Amino acid sequence: MTHFIALLLCVAAFGALALAMERHQHDICGRALAASTTRRLRLAGWIGLGLALYVLVQAQGWGMALVSFSGHTSLAAGLVCAAMIVHARRRALHP
Amino acid sequence: MDASARQPGLRQTMAGLHTWAGLLVGWLLFAMFLTGTVSFFKDELSAWMRPELPLQSQVPDPAVTAQRVTDELSQIAAGSTQWGMRLPDQRNGTVGTFWRVPAAGGRRGFEEAQLDPLTGHRVSSRDTTGGEFFYRFHFQFHYMPVVWGRWLASICAMFMLVAIVSGVITHKKIFRDFFTFRWGKGQRSWLDAHNALSVFGLPFHAMITYTGLVTMMALVMPWGEQAAIQTPAERQELSSQLSAFIQPVTPTGQRVPLAPVDAMVRQAQARWGEHNVSRITISNPGDAAARVSVLRGESARVSMSPQYMLFDGGTGKLLEVQESVGAAAEARGVLYALHLGRFSDTAMRWLYFIVSLAGTAMVGTGLVMWTVKRRQGLSDPSRPHLGFRLVERLNIASIAGLSIAMTGFLWGNRLLPAALPGRGAWEIHLFFIVWALTLVHACLRTPKRAWVEQLWCAAVLLALLPIVNAVTTERPFWRSLGEGDAVFAGMDLMLWALAALHGALAIRTARHRKPVQARRAKPAPHSHTTDLAEQP
Repeated sequence: MTHFIALLLCVAAFGALALAMERHQHDICGRALAASTTRRLRLAGWIGLGLALYVLVQAQGWGMALVSFSGHTSLAAGLVCAAMIVHARRRALHP
Repeated sequence: MDASARQPGLRQTMAGLHTWAGLLVGWLLFAMFLTGTVSFFKDELSAWMRPELPLQSQVPDPAVTAQRVTDELSQIAAGSTQWGMRLPDQRNGTVGTFWRVPAAGGRRGFEEAQLDPLTGHRVSSRDTTGGEFFYRFHFQFHYMPVVWGRWLASICAMFMLVAIVSGVITHKKIFRDFFTFRWGKGQRSWLDAHNALSVFGLPFHAMITYTGLVTMMALVMPWGEQAAIQTPAERQELSSQLSAFIQPVTPTGQRVPLAPVDAMVRQAQARWGEHNVSRITISNPGDAAARVSVLRGESARVSMSPQYMLFDGGTGKLLEVQESVGAAAEARGVLYALHLGRFSDTAMRWLYFIVSLAGTAMVGTGLVMWTVKRRQGLSDPSRPHLGFRLVERLNIASIAGLSIAMTGFLWGNRLLPAALPGRGAWEIHLFFIVWALTLVHACLRTPKRAWVEQLWCAAVLLALLPIVNAVTTERPFWRSLGEGDAVFAGMDLMLWALAALHGALAIRTARHRKPVQARRAKPAPHSHTTDLAEQP
């Protein structure tokens, strides 16, 4: 359960961080988002990552938590990237 | 950077270093990475390769098991100066035992046996090295002295470390391009994929490479140890900081029966938890100098530093509890543990596996990119120079061919006759024979065909393996699923998932068209529509 929550938080966090980048705003929303929205997304992303680490440390202690955190962030970043690739491909094939 | 005309910038220098450090040992690194990746599931693989052994319903009590196995060892290993056993756990249902036998040919010898924890007798299963083969191959290769293999692996790991550091420096926009992937853009797409696979798993890749070197440090950099450790007493002190392996001493000659081992294990259980005892070593059993060490388990403990209770084997008295080591030894213990990941629960083990697989793909994409990048620069793409052809063919055999060889090894496990002498060794020979054949095939076909054919071959072999398993064992997929046998059902599902992956790669490779080259008027001959490349 801890692993699941941590992974979910990481995916959400990386999603927010990706959306805080102008290139991906264009890809996904078709336009650049307002500067304030971008700032909030970036903040939310970092808070999400921090929260994931907090959840893991609470459940597993620092040693194990740092290892898990590294794994979850790697996997989550990969999932977000893959989701954006799928999204872009679908838009390219069915505009 | 100073971009004066003659002096190349730091980034460019690093790019060159990255390219050549990666290429030179890339093929070995790919094999080390992939066999290492599957070794995170070594125990599961070993269980799958011994299908005669029944599914373990629950982990037997360590104290009872330890006593039973000790009794058995006193029969089958009577007279030996040292016995060792690894107790069963969630992932491993047998008791791995070893005992010292008189040295032969100047080398100290050990014999090994897998025992059934419920009866204490030898398990009757086919002769196989199991998952141990990939694990050993991953850091010492095969068909060569162990020390050479480890040196070779160490050198590869150092190149890898150089490639990682120079790669990070070369990467221009590590944060701006974090999620960037440009589809269908040839070399650009390959680079994006390579970057994503490297950057997302960067903490892991750096960790696994560095800690891999730490596991070899006594071999690669022995000088500190040689200078500091000289007397036998110092050596013993060092050894107790690094492992719980107690060396037998000269026997006193006074016969004293071994005190009950189960009582010792119970003391350890009371201290560390019911199922948190991993190994037991007994030296000089039956002698007054007997010693028994009971080692703490590794679960949820990010350190391999030995924690053990040492007992007097004759009286059963607790002599010593070691629960901490010096700071340097502990640093080594933590780095060692990080590399092996034995502390992992199931979820973390999968994380290790997935990120490590990404690392394998990182090496693979790097190797392929070398050819993609240079193909455009070839003066005559239909007749590339020797170096290019060599890299191209080696890529095919070391990437697609390795999948075939590893699957072939598992096919061998199911199909080689049980009575074949040296059966376990033949499984390994089969692996190398198949691998060599893929290289021959890669040299005989045009690169694109070789890629497609080998990827399809791997996909088909992977997809059929669960069927072969169903026919040759009592544990087909539907039964494993019904019995909740996570290892056998999981293995079948994993094989199908990997078959799908190889199939998808084969289809993409086959579909790949050479991008239209505006500058080149004369089209390349059909047979040289070249390979995978340019598009993922």
